[in-house]
Amino acid sequence: MRKVDLTPCIAVLVGGLFLVGAGCGKSIQANSGAKSFEPGAKREATSVPKTTASTGSGPGSSSTPSSKPPTAASSPREPLSSEPETPIPSLSTLDSGPGPFNAKKSDEQRVPGDLLVAKTEPSDMSRRQVEEIQREQVATAASGLEDVYFGFDSWQISNEGKQTLMVDAEWIKANPSQKVTIEGHCDERGTLAYNLVLGEKRAKAVQTYLTELGINANRLTVVSYGKERPFCKDREESCYQQNRRGHIAIRVQ
Amino acid sequence: MKISLVVLYLALLGGLIGIIESGAEDVFMEATRPDFQKIPIGIFGFRDGGDQDPNGEKAADVLRADLRRSLIFSVADLPKLGIRLNGRWEKDAVDKRLAQQASEQGISVLVWGKVWAKEADMLLDGYVYDGGSGDVVADRRYIGSSSVLRQMTHRLADELVFRYTGEQGIARTKITFVSEQNGGRELYVMDYDGYGPRQVTADGFLNLMPRWSRDRRFLIFTSYRERTKQYIDMVEIATGKRWTLISLPGLNITPALSPDGSSLAFATSQDGNSEVYKMDTNTKAFQRLTFHAAGDLSPAWSPTGRELAFTSDRGGGPQLFVMSADGSNVRRLTYEGDYNAAPAWSPRGNWIAHVCRTEERQYKLCLVSPDGQKHIRLTSGPGVDDSPSWSPDGRHLVFSSTREGKSHIYMIDSDGANLERLTSGGTSNTSPAWSPM
Repeated sequence: MRKVDLTPCIAVLVGGLFLVGAGCGKSIQANSGAKSFEPGAKREATSVPKTTASTGSGPGSSSTPSSKPPTAASSPREPLSSEPETPIPSLSTLDSGPGPFNAKKSDEQRVPGDLLVAKTEPSDMSRRQVEEIQREQVATAASGLEDVYFGFDSWQISNEGKQTLMVDAEWIKANPSQKVTIEGHCDERGTLAYNLVLGEKRAKAVQTYLTELGINANRLTVVSYGKERPFCKDREESCYQQNRRGHIAIRVQ
Repeated sequence: MKISLVVLYLALLGGLIGIIESGAEDVFMEATRPDFQKIPIGIFGFRDGGDQDPNGEKAADVLRADLRRSLIFSVADLPKLGIRLNGRWEKDAVDKRLAQQASEQGISVLVWGKVWAKEADMLLDGYVYDGGSGDVVADRRYIGSSSVLRQMTHRLADELVFRYTGEQGIARTKITFVSEQNGGRELYVMDYDGYGPRQVTADGFLNLMPRWSRDRRFLIFTSYRERTKQYIDMVEIATGKRWTLISLPGLNITPALSPDGSSLAFATSQDGNSEVYKMDTNTKAFQRLTFHAAGDLSPAWSPTGRELAFTSDRGGGPQLFVMSADGSNVRRLTYEGDYNAAPAWSPRGNWIAHVCRTEERQYKLCLVSPDGQKHIRLTSGPGVDDSPSWSPDGRHLVFSSTREGKSHIYMIDSDGANLERLTSGGTSNTSPAWSPM
């Protein structure tokens, strides 16, 4: 039989509680102005939160749901309106663990459940996004609006691109009730972040040219998707060329 | 006969004290230099408590991998050296004779353990022996559910790292990343060794560039939850609860929390082109830091919080710049090559990792010293390497790469050795960020 000295264990637990308590105290600091929301996802807790486990309840109770079940889901489409305000938690708090180790020769530690992650399921918003994208694609294809293509690392509109945009501008003028999104896209080369900036430069170059052709800027929404939504996924120049584009899309309401 | 370990320990301690006096940076260099003398350690297969499931061997494998990644230990292949347990399954499993045998092979530390069940709990007993004398220098008992066996083993690994270096190990850290899911991109978290990936968001469109809060409860990221607008959102991992931190017009990208959590730096294009801003996380007051007609983005805090590195294409192609945290003292950092972006300042302060474009027009990882004097290329091969993020001990980087076709998450030592792929499934895994300790 192994003799177990519980003293350090208790000390660790008490220390842990203290730290958790301190962390909670700090995190309650009020930060006004923002409200929380749920992105429409159904969620349930899947394991014991670290803070619960460190008080000694242990992983045996791993089906215990989170102490704060999420509130009724509201779509971020109507964000931040009907929800009760939950202040943004403080970002200056430190984790209570893993913490330093006890240098004692013999020690027994209870290992809490792993990082608690809320269970996620595709939300209503997720389904709505997919539907909207499909409707936009159909409407855009039907309109005959053409895209503009760019050179490597470039956001200059070529003469060919200008020809295309002149035709697009005629359609946009002829359909004054339609709103248009200009999406800036990049090929897979380069970094995620810089390509978002590059994509925005491309979209804004298109927007600028269309306004020069007499389109009211408030009909044109600009967004950059960088290299995150490629049209073509092969790793060759013909594919890269297709992905370096300003995509003109009809906005569906 | 504890002498050899005591001597080693004192030597290490003395060495550390000596080094600390000459600057913390040297400790790091010491431990990553190729001639750094790693501590030879032998890990016996762990004993299972009559269980059919080979948990013992699994735990020993996890421990070996953790200690190899610690870069503090060199893990000996005991069976190959003919060093085998004596068949006793208690604390005295390693005796004087075994320890002597190990010592003759240059092994200074031996570890053995057992995994067994007691009521609803799983127990992991870990014994650390002095190679040479065979004295037990530490024994530990970890208790938890069977689902946390890996976590228990990681804890033992971190404890060994702490015992022999006085530093926190990284075996219990996490990595967040973005994975393609039904056409959208969602946030995930996983263990530092790639185990247990779990989905955090389910928005159905684009969520990008997650960063950890200091307490590891929250992720801060760019969300396109209205598709044509970008927000910098925060999600509580345990509950899925969301907050909007930043919703300025235009781009809202590359969030970076200051080391003390008091300030969130990011890039926004509300002024027309992308500029670096910071937001006080308590008062929510914004401060604009860059003023240039070119694109400024990707702020990365120095570990002291006094400076920021960032990407700017004010010279044509993207290059790295450094400025004080109030936006003053802007200076260009990189001059090699025509594309340097995505900076990540090391926790020890001595390197800024980033993506560099090579002469072969490949996007690879490079390191530059904060004075711009030293420039090292870290990775090679095909594909795009992107989004470097440091381990909190500064000994590793995690990044995404398309070197094998699909984008996956990889870990590499800070000297470019030991490339290891962490993700296996999914169609595209990108944008990793390593958690704090």
